[in-house]
Amino acid sequence: MLSRRTLEAATAILTGAFGVAVMVSSLNNGIDWSESGVESGTFPFITGTIVAAASLYNLVRGWMRGTGIVATRAGLQRTAALLLPAVLYVALIPLIGMYVGSAAYLFGTLRFQSKLSVVRSGLIAIVASVALYLVFERAFQVSLPHGWLGVVLDL
Amino acid sequence: MENFEALMHGFSIAISVNHVALMIGGVLLGILVGVLPGLGAPNGVSLLLPLTFGMTPVAAIILLSSIYWGALFGGSVTSILFNIPGEPSSVATTFDGYPMARDGRATEALATAFGSAAFGALVGVVLITCLASWIAGVALQFGPAEYFAVYFLAFSSFIGVGGAPPMKTVVSLAIGFAIAAIGMDTVSGSVRLTMGVDELVKGINFVVAVMGLFGIGELLIAVEDELHAKPVSSKIEWRILFRTLAGLPKHWVALLRSAAIGCWMGITPGGPTAASFMSYGIAKRVSPRRANFGKGEPEGIVSPETADHAAGTSALLPMLSLGIPGSATAAVMMGGLMIWGLNPGPALFIEQKDFVWGLIASMYLGNIVAVILVLLTVPIFAALMRLPFFILAPLIFIVCVVGAYSVSNSYLDVVLMMGFGVLGYLFKKLDYPLAPLVLAIVIGDKAEDAFRQSMLMSQGSLKIFVANGLVTTLVCAGFALLLVPPLFRMIGGLRGRSR
Repeated sequence: MLSRRTLEAATAILTGAFGVAVMVSSLNNGIDWSESGVESGTFPFITGTIVAAASLYNLVRGWMRGTGIVATRAGLQRTAALLLPAVLYVALIPLIGMYVGSAAYLFGTLRFQSKLSVVRSGLIAIVASVALYLVFERAFQVSLPHGWLGVVLDL
Repeated sequence: MENFEALMHGFSIAISVNHVALMIGGVLLGILVGVLPGLGAPNGVSLLLPLTFGMTPVAAIILLSSIYWGALFGGSVTSILFNIPGEPSSVATTFDGYPMARDGRATEALATAFGSAAFGALVGVVLITCLASWIAGVALQFGPAEYFAVYFLAFSSFIGVGGAPPMKTVVSLAIGFAIAAIGMDTVSGSVRLTMGVDELVKGINFVVAVMGLFGIGELLIAVEDELHAKPVSSKIEWRILFRTLAGLPKHWVALLRSAAIGCWMGITPGGPTAASFMSYGIAKRVSPRRANFGKGEPEGIVSPETADHAAGTSALLPMLSLGIPGSATAAVMMGGLMIWGLNPGPALFIEQKDFVWGLIASMYLGNIVAVILVLLTVPIFAALMRLPFFILAPLIFIVCVVGAYSVSNSYLDVVLMMGFGVLGYLFKKLDYPLAPLVLAIVIGDKAEDAFRQSMLMSQGSLKIFVANGLVTTLVCAGFALLLVPPLFRMIGGLRGRSR
């Protein structure tokens, strides 16, 4: 279970940290007036300050006024069930490439999460990957990453 | 009259076998992404953007704008039949559309939606036909200060009337600005905000941001809310359909009011989503049939749908004539325009007459094609909706990953898109508006350039923003949009307390 208050605070801290990072980083570019006009760090510095200040406001307001539940445990589990395998899939792309990765990801989610039969999951996974290959590599000549596996197999 | 001739010339360009085929293909794809929850017009347009690089600009814009029309129509189908808005802008359509469908009036609800949507789009296109050259002419007299004032007006209209909590809109907008600033600075050539990652010198591509924010973000929300689609009869009864369409003029007050709201929101980049909500909200306040709202009142479909499409169409007007996109999709299309080597803005009307009028003519045709196709395809998409979401979700995810990678063959973009996805999820969950973020990512650096050029001209004096009548009016209007709504709220709050 996730209370609105916690999520509001976490998001405000996240955006606030981004704001501060932008402020600090833009100091390197100078935030003053020079012969060529406003220095290039000025605008990002201002936006960073706005983000940080508004995040602080949202943090306080979210903490004071935030009530109720924003996501149930079951809901979060469903989100995690989609997001975590997806993160794993993206993380493995440099290793096994996008075609094998997509097929494995589809097969995994369909077989183990949705409890489809091995044959159906496998079929959907292979058809999807082959379709990707035909559309991107063949039809539009866009080379998707083959990964380390592709190098080893010399593709 | 001059515009009429130009329009006829536009039709002669737009009507060719090739272009009509692109229109049909675009509309079908648009309906598909509109129908699918998790995908929207920005995705469809972004996905096809790389394919347009080899086309002529006219063919490319016809394809992309047709996707847009298709998606606007497709979004209403699932809103009404399944209570799942396929597009953020068709959320308001669910309020009365779904109750009507549940009561067995699905055909009537769909016909009402499509009819009023077509009317809204028509008003938007007529507005563009009549005003585009004029607005472009005025805009030619714009200097950097005036441009900055227009950007300022656009941004403050989001904060004032957008409907989201103002400080959250500010965060969303300012983060967009910061993201736009990442990479090479166009004025000084120095590298900014890369935080030590060399690959960020090229900046963050808006397509990557859009895919993450809209595609992945909405997917995560949809999974969490466990959308229970309860399909109702999606058979189209033609007799009821025509009777409903013929009876539409009796809602003329709502139609005209909503079209006006939609056009205003499209031109000042409030966008279709804000327009549809605003229109529904106002109708609920002023309609004589307001008691029925939420229980299946046709006027509750007419109002958001007309405004949605009027805004979606007229959003292209500021994009073409001023170089300011009025919606997220228009923002993506504007990116396309730049890639095809066209410079959106007033000069477009002089240098690229064929392109501009070809596009405007294709809007009339595209919307007619869209109405016909959406009616014919309702049964097919209803069948698609029966495909379980657990199969659709990973497929949509893969499409987004591949799309993000193919933007510039960069793995970093895929990782960034995932980050934007989580951000989109958090923002949606907590009512941070996404449209200002996308808007700022696309035009943030242009606003900055305009500001810095004005500062250079005035030697650092802010007086340049009140130097003449035009710029003063724009700046004042911007401040009014920014400050009036909170003032009203404060007054309302005080009144409530004194009672």
